[in-house]
Amino acid sequence: MQRYAAGLIVLGLVLTACGRSTDQPAEQAKNVDTGKARGEVTVWAMGTEGEALDAFAQEFEAAHPGVTVKVTALGWDVAHDKITAAIAGDATPDISMLGSTWMGEMAKTGALEPTPGNLIDKSAFFPSAWKTVEVDGTAYGIPWYVETRAFYYRTDLARKAGVEPPATWAETKSFVAALKAEGGAELGVEQNFRQGSWQEVVPLVWQAGGEIMAAGKWTLDTPQMVQALEHYNSFFAGGLAPNDLPLTAFPQTFVKGRVGAFYSGPWMITGLEKDGGAGFGEKFAVAAYPEGGAGGTSLIGGSELVVFKSARNREAAWTFLRWLTDAKVQAKWYAKVNALPSVEAAWQEPELTGDERVKVFGEQLKDARGVPAVPTWEQVAKAMETEIEKMALGRQSPAETAKAFQRKAESIGTGT
Amino acid sequence: MRRRWSTYALLTAGLVLVVLPFVWTVLTSFKPETEIRRDPPAFLPLEWTLANYDLLLAKMNIGQVFLNSLIVAVAVVAGNLLFCSMVGYAFAKLSFRWKNAVFALVLVQMTVPAIVVMIPQFVLVAKIGLVNTFLGIILPGLVTPLGVFLMRQFIMDIPDELIHAARVDGAREFRIFFTIVLPLCKPALATLGLITFLGSWNNFLWPAVVAQSEDLYTLPVALAIFSGYQGTQYGLLIAGAVVVVLPILTLFVFLQRYFIQGIASTGIK
Repeated sequence: MQRYAAGLIVLGLVLTACGRSTDQPAEQAKNVDTGKARGEVTVWAMGTEGEALDAFAQEFEAAHPGVTVKVTALGWDVAHDKITAAIAGDATPDISMLGSTWMGEMAKTGALEPTPGNLIDKSAFFPSAWKTVEVDGTAYGIPWYVETRAFYYRTDLARKAGVEPPATWAETKSFVAALKAEGGAELGVEQNFRQGSWQEVVPLVWQAGGEIMAAGKWTLDTPQMVQALEHYNSFFAGGLAPNDLPLTAFPQTFVKGRVGAFYSGPWMITGLEKDGGAGFGEKFAVAAYPEGGAGGTSLIGGSELVVFKSARNREAAWTFLRWLTDAKVQAKWYAKVNALPSVEAAWQEPELTGDERVKVFGEQLKDARGVPAVPTWEQVAKAMETEIEKMALGRQSPAETAKAFQRKAESIGTGT
Repeated sequence: MRRRWSTYALLTAGLVLVVLPFVWTVLTSFKPETEIRRDPPAFLPLEWTLANYDLLLAKMNIGQVFLNSLIVAVAVVAGNLLFCSMVGYAFAKLSFRWKNAVFALVLVQMTVPAIVVMIPQFVLVAKIGLVNTFLGIILPGLVTPLGVFLMRQFIMDIPDELIHAARVDGAREFRIFFTIVLPLCKPALATLGLITFLGSWNNFLWPAVVAQSEDLYTLPVALAIFSGYQGTQYGLLIAGAVVVVLPILTLFVFLQRYFIQGIASTGIK
């Protein structure tokens, strides 16, 4: 009982602490003197990045005597809980990697330090990438690497069907239909309608000219949303996208040529080359998102690196982040873990100019946007996924789906 | 005779059903990564390989991680065996004020999911400076409501006369507990030990949150690094899963006699 009572009191304190910070005016960033960088910097990073960063940082350590970087790798599964717990218990590392959709939530806790403008030059980054670290006009941390979505297709099947990759929504329809009828891709295009399916729908909304959020309110039931959902759903309804296969059928279906196209991020390039075996790399290409009525905007994602206010070696931490955003270092990091540079100049480096497919993502990044930086975004995205699945399985219409989005999002709120 | 044949057939079918996923896991751990996601899947590896295990050894310090898991699990088991049986004994055989009310509180705790108390519990552990220590990982698990409940039910069945006799002979409470009650509890202790060992061995969230450097990672925490955001390394994970399961299987083989006895004797009531 005592444990719960104490727990409740502490939780109460944490909550009030969070509440207070939101009322304050925009935070001012403090300058960093890189000459004072000393000591040990502790970094948390997830997955592959976490595994590779420790060895990668040795070059930084060599250039900055007196600074050591200690990386702790963590799993994506636990990262969110671990970071929130660390903030609540004031037991944070100096630096942590964050998923870009967590930014709003984490910044609101007041535990993140605003980015020092004297050290980090925001104009070096893709504007869309920089926006993902801004919350209410203040930047926290840096966009470390980015990813965006584009259109993958089988070049051999397209050639067989005699079609060029689509530039518009209408062309996408005929392109997929041709792949199916003439190219042998019996299943058409792969559209994810399960976990993460909001990523398929959100770019379409922007392409139709709609917004996810306007003036601090959810705008998920608009004519543009319905239009986007109708476009997405027409592939399922018209038999041009499978909705009856198990979750793990893809990407084997693409490798076998049963599916002729899909939308996804840059990581699929190496994934497919591995799954498809020798020679498969020649059989697929990437094109920019086909344009809707209002353009071909894609979704930007990726990861940020943030410095906590409680960092023991603040100067060293920011100096390390400055180094990680150097164009040459970013290109090297890409070669190591396939994470696309958030710094525009890095795309001129030889590591990134070799593969045509990678270049498409570089172009797409110039027309990409992030999701609203509000603390409740993850919850709203989950709610959207549930409704998208119902629609894809033919249980509700696009108009009903848009209504359900809005109803659920409003009951979740924006967390501000 | 006929009937026995059909019983065996039924049992065999059940056994195959239960064992098959595990056999498949073990077989899959010997397949190359590309074959794991093959469509249609093959039951036997087309190409036997130790690559997954090699990669696992190369990517993580398996000896250290294994040892960490063992340290945590052994400490948690020891704590539960001692404290749960002590508390259980008090609830079963001693009389004190508000006994039933306090016991009800213990039962209520069984219904609160661990995730609900995780953040406050972490804040407490952080305030007493135990973040990133073995003690911080172990401490909250040293006594569990389920264990207290299990031990109380078992100890209630021990005849009061034994305890009275010991008391008449001049034994103090601790003496009675350690020399009379505890030795009679062996089946229940075996059950409790196995349950808590399993629980601790598989526990993911709490150790993952408290351990802030990789030299304190337990097996599930270390394995989670490989389940990626954009593409999971299934070969590695499955090889890891086999490594996680092996000690539990071994433990079960040695303790199954007690385990079944314990479940049976506590479950009858």
